[in-house]
Amino acid sequence: MRILKGNPVSRGIALAKVYVYKAFKADVHESYFEAGQEAARYKQFTDALAVAEEELNTIVTSLSADSPEKAKIFTAHIEILNDEEVAEEVKDMITSSRAMPDYAVDFVFSEFAMLLEKAKDPLIAARAADLRDVRNRVLRILKGEKEQNLSSLREKVVVVAHDLLPSDTATLDRAHVMGIVTEVGGATSHTAIIARSYKIPAVLGVPSATEIMKNGEPVVLDALKGLVMLEPERETIHEYEAKLVQFLEDEKQTAEYLDRIPLVASGERFYVGLNIGTTEPDEGFKYVDFVGLFRTEFLYMESEHMPTEDEQFAAYRKMLANAMGNPVTLRTLDIGGDKTLRYMTLPKEENPFLGNRALRLCLDMPELFKTQLRAALRASAFGEMQIMFPMVGTIDDIRAGNAAVEEVKAELRAEGIPFDEKINVGIMIEIPSIAMIADLAAKETDFASVGTNDLTQYLHAVDRMNPKITNYYQSSSPAMFRILGRIFKEYNKAGKPVSVCGELAGEPLAAIVLYGLGLRKFSMNASNIAHVKRTLSLFTQDETEEIAEKVMMLETQEDVNNYLKAEVAKREQKAKSATVAKK
Amino acid sequence: MYSKQTVLRNLTGLHARPASEFVACAKTFESKVTVKRLDIPDAAEANAKSIIKILAQGLSVNTPIEISADGPDEEAAVEKLVELVDSKFGED
Repeated sequence: MRILKGNPVSRGIALAKVYVYKAFKADVHESYFEAGQEAARYKQFTDALAVAEEELNTIVTSLSADSPEKAKIFTAHIEILNDEEVAEEVKDMITSSRAMPDYAVDFVFSEFAMLLEKAKDPLIAARAADLRDVRNRVLRILKGEKEQNLSSLREKVVVVAHDLLPSDTATLDRAHVMGIVTEVGGATSHTAIIARSYKIPAVLGVPSATEIMKNGEPVVLDALKGLVMLEPERETIHEYEAKLVQFLEDEKQTAEYLDRIPLVASGERFYVGLNIGTTEPDEGFKYVDFVGLFRTEFLYMESEHMPTEDEQFAAYRKMLANAMGNPVTLRTLDIGGDKTLRYMTLPKEENPFLGNRALRLCLDMPELFKTQLRAALRASAFGEMQIMFPMVGTIDDIRAGNAAVEEVKAELRAEGIPFDEKINVGIMIEIPSIAMIADLAAKETDFASVGTNDLTQYLHAVDRMNPKITNYYQSSSPAMFRILGRIFKEYNKAGKPVSVCGELAGEPLAAIVLYGLGLRKFSMNASNIAHVKRTLSLFTQDETEEIAEKVMMLETQEDVNNYLKAEVAKREQKAKSATVAKK
Repeated sequence: MYSKQTVLRNLTGLHARPASEFVACAKTFESKVTVKRLDIPDAAEANAKSIIKILAQGLSVNTPIEISADGPDEEAAVEKLVELVDSKFGED
């Protein structure tokens, strides 16, 4: 068995055959034709437009009856196809500049797509995807290639693609697509949003999936953990068949908890937050009390150049505008030698996770750090926001970070630029050395948020990128809960807010212990919200405290998990018989 | 050349369906038709027959705009489009 890993963006389990979907790949180069062919070349373009419109009309007709909402996407595509300005500019490039039709189409459509992406309204910016979709359709027709789509599949499959476009997903044969795996895309990509709305399990960001996975091969998709299992053994298949049944039953019951106010069984309130990594609207904003982690790396990873202050400012404002009034914790840049940026090479390091990364890197490159802090502070005038430093190991780090913030604040004040004077500045707790002195850290910070993924990695000395040692990565170990309890206790004692924004906060079993240890703010991915609300609703505050005490005295992670599972099962059983009795 | 000013009063602004209707209506006229927002100094004129250019303007509710047309049916075009905008595209 071979296991690939990715980002589970739509929960679920699938067992089916691989269907590698290679959408048309536009391979366009800047090229020109000889004088004299203008009319013929232009006709190629107008002919392609006609064919495209015919294809789109066919799709609209086939969708109109059953799914008028989806049909609208393609009606919009026809509109784009008939856009006067686009057509004029393509015509001009062909007839005046003698650009080859495919090059002209690619150039003009891409220009217009970029124009839309600049729009402040995220809904308009999202229309750029439609433009690219139409561009690909016209380019494919110009190349003389047939339309390929996912609308009628013969058997149940897991679709494996580089990425899926709106036209691919809108016509998706939902009866046969059991799962989706793509090479690119995060939790808020188009594919992720569609997968969640269709409830199709999806694991995105699996590098080279279309090359590694072969058509017709059996595959097991665990979109709870983000695992793609190739050549699964018989036991694995049996195990997952059982898990699938359990999952579907569970989903039905859990869904009811999504928009409930988070309360434990004894009536005390806890607070659920959302982790985000883009500026796009997210359905999850509706069901949470705050945004516990706004990752800013995407700005740096997706840009062709070092993002400017104004670009970052615009992005942060957009994010605040989309966050539906939720207060947002912005984490400053968290990268190191394991990541490369197109415009800046970071030196390769022997141990990038122990190297010059995150806050260390920012302190090392004050201009980069100050640019981000200026943008963040300026945005703080437009919504409730706080700033958080990742990779803090010592009080010196806190002081250096705070000093940089103060310096930037003074500059802004001098320039008369508004920002939130009372902005909170806090830290991620992910290095054991700062966890051990949480009492001292609490004095110098406004808040803390625990990054349990890195804390596990550093506490257990396990490289979490190394697939050989995943069983050593134990985020629910007794050691983890002991150190977490210490952090919560010290921050609660100091009266400073503390949250967990690592994956542990979204794991229902662990959440019981975290609550028992004194945590009240749980920040997680949207897909875990209902589960955590549901599980915690089964326990009274006293019970969680007893459980937490017990867990810290257990010997192994396995003991912890077995114990917690049994505690949940006991209560679910009780709840079930209570409903039966009522009936 | 014929121009008239009005204000977008429908909640959606010139997005989504209203934008489509607006562009479709503009296309029924022969004249060159443009839209310019008046709340930003020196805003560029957008071709009213281009859905993308109209969307890219990001015209939201309460934006003052000027609709202009140049051509044989310029007056009819402007009047009709202003009427469409003032009808709030059927939104309440």
